[in-house]
Amino acid sequence: MAWITKNAGTMQIDRREEPYLSDETRAKLEAEVIPRYATRQAATLPVLHEIQHQHNWIPYQALEEAAEFLGLSAGEVIDCATFYEEFFLHPKGRHLVQMCQSLSCELCGHEPILEKIQQKLDIMPGETTDDDRVTLMTVECLGSCGTAPALMIDGTLHENVTWEQAKRLLDDLA
Amino acid sequence: MALAEPVLLKRIPPPPWGNVADRKLVTYSDYVATGGYESLKKSLEMPPGELVDLVKASELRGRGGAGFSAGLKWSFLPAPDGERRYLAVNADESEPGTFKDRLLIDFDPHLLIEGIAICCHACQLDTAYIYIRGEYHHQARVLEASLTEAYDNRIFGPNSQLGQINGRDVHCYVHRGAGAYICGEETGLLESLEGKRGWPRIKPPFPAVAGLFQRPTVINNVETLADLPDILSRGVDWFRSIGRASTLGENVPGSYGPKLYGVSGHVNIPGVYEEELGVPMSQLIEKHCGGMRNGKKYKAAVPGGISMGVLGTDQYDAELDFDIGRRYNVLGLGTAGVIVMDEDTDMVAVTRNIARFFSHESCGQCTPCREGSGWVYQMLCRIEQGDGKYKDLDLLDEIARSMGAMPGTTICGLADGTNWAVRTILEKFRDEFESRCTASLVQVGVPSSA
Ligand SMILES: Cc1cc2nc3c(=O)[nH]c(=O)nc-3n(C[C@H](O)[C@H](O)[C@H](O)COP(=O)(O)O)c2cc1C
Ligand code: SF4
Ligand code: FES
Repeated sequence: MAWITKNAGTMQIDRREEPYLSDETRAKLEAEVIPRYATRQAATLPVLHEIQHQHNWIPYQALEEAAEFLGLSAGEVIDCATFYEEFFLHPKGRHLVQMCQSLSCELCGHEPILEKIQQKLDIMPGETTDDDRVTLMTVECLGSCGTAPALMIDGTLHENVTWEQAKRLLDDLA
Repeated sequence: MALAEPVLLKRIPPPPWGNVADRKLVTYSDYVATGGYESLKKSLEMPPGELVDLVKASELRGRGGAGFSAGLKWSFLPAPDGERRYLAVNADESEPGTFKDRLLIDFDPHLLIEGIAICCHACQLDTAYIYIRGEYHHQARVLEASLTEAYDNRIFGPNSQLGQINGRDVHCYVHRGAGAYICGEETGLLESLEGKRGWPRIKPPFPAVAGLFQRPTVINNVETLADLPDILSRGVDWFRSIGRASTLGENVPGSYGPKLYGVSGHVNIPGVYEEELGVPMSQLIEKHCGGMRNGKKYKAAVPGGISMGVLGTDQYDAELDFDIGRRYNVLGLGTAGVIVMDEDTDMVAVTRNIARFFSHESCGQCTPCREGSGWVYQMLCRIEQGDGKYKDLDLLDEIARSMGAMPGTTICGLADGTNWAVRTILEKFRDEFESRCTASLVQVGVPSSA
């Protein structure tokens, strides 16, 4: 729900010495991404994608570093980052399991599969297992309605999913 | 005239397509070997203005949902002034039931890239961004790789076939979204491209005049652009021989050209099928999809993405063209993503699923959409659980009816999706809702004894 803002007033910020945006990453972004756009701000999504790709989520300190890199206020970057469901501003598990719950997938029986996944992982959608192994999410249409039910694991799409297949895929996650 | 052979899908094998990784991608050389990029060459021999007129004459209408004339949209651009002008390719495809653009990118990305190059020349646009939804990880990589091929073969970049436009080399980039349906709305897309939250803009000004970075911008859907190479190579008359004129009157624009229909739900062989515009839904289901699954009977269908409302049980033969809205009491053809439902489908659950989608994806700018969609969802959950009251149904109808750009209470069309979906299902399947509701008991007096 993109319009729910997060409470920031009393937030504790974890800081570390080593920057999240390394000199190397900055140089790469400066050379390959920034020249594509008329403003530095337009590189916000690519920069956040890159940070998340490297660190698995986007810590607050990294948002501040991104803002400094982009010549923006931290607020402008937070405003943008909080809007998008795929940017994780809290740590997530090592693996991300996303089950589609939109209409075609519901008609083709995603519910019993989702329930069994919940039972197996012992978590509800939105939660992460205690060992930080898996984060489970329900998502809206994955663009795979003709091959519903659709399940995405770490960015790889699995189509016409059955419980047996989902179970195997979950067992394979390290 | 019926479609004699596949046009958009001519390089794509019929379903089932197997795993994404096993699909054979049409590479640059495959594409060129089958006549690819000839249309671009042809278009570069034409002055841009003539090209715009040609597309206008073809009556190509946008395949992204609204069905607006592509040539007409292009003609709204002001004359070039030497500064930057943009193309934003809408590959956000997030409307439930829609998976056609993904198929084109999965197999034949150069068809899109050629369309982009033709559009850049026609409209004198120097920079194109393909805005692709974040969940399309694989497709973004496919596009990156295909664009590298296109740069290597001088479609874009320095010394390209397009030459310089507005005094600049022409570039095309992939820009990934991050999981927000609203970024498919054209001005939400532009805001997102600028690095902001995807909040749709109040129009006017229209993007043709002040779009990306406040500069003239064309926004077109993937399939719309993929239609261009064939319009160039086969001509306007060929394009207009497919599909049909409007049945609603002489001044109503027609529905011409081939169209991709993504069919999902309770059919035997779901998939993306190409047909002429105006194909009856029954034919799509029976000819291509092997009929209804498990021998069940048809009950209802979403004609083109869940924003469009539903076709009722007696509308099985509805012709899927741009007139469908006015003829069958739905919002429109939308993305032509047809979701088919059989006789066992619980229409209250369907409505609840759709309402949850819209309340989740509302960007939150407009109160009727942000609050209204949440209320509608909660009421539907209540009705589904059997706790609804008859009077809830009128309230549901009233809330739904009041929200959207068409009633004029919201900035963009997302709320119209809630409006049409909820209202048309309620109208066409009211008895199912009523059977879940009870009368509200009103106490009329106090017991006399005591
Ligand atoms: C809420 C909403 C979501 C939309 N999502 C998409 C989308 O995912 N893809 C798309 O091509 N058009 C989408 N559209 C339609 C676009 O706003 C726009 O009309 C279209 O991209 C124009 O291209 P076309 O004329 O080639 O169809 C959406 C519209 C609305 C109101
Ligand atoms: S109608 Fe809904 S999605 Fe569209 S701008 Fe308003 S709140 Fe946002
Ligand atoms: S509805 Fe699940 S992939 Fe489209």
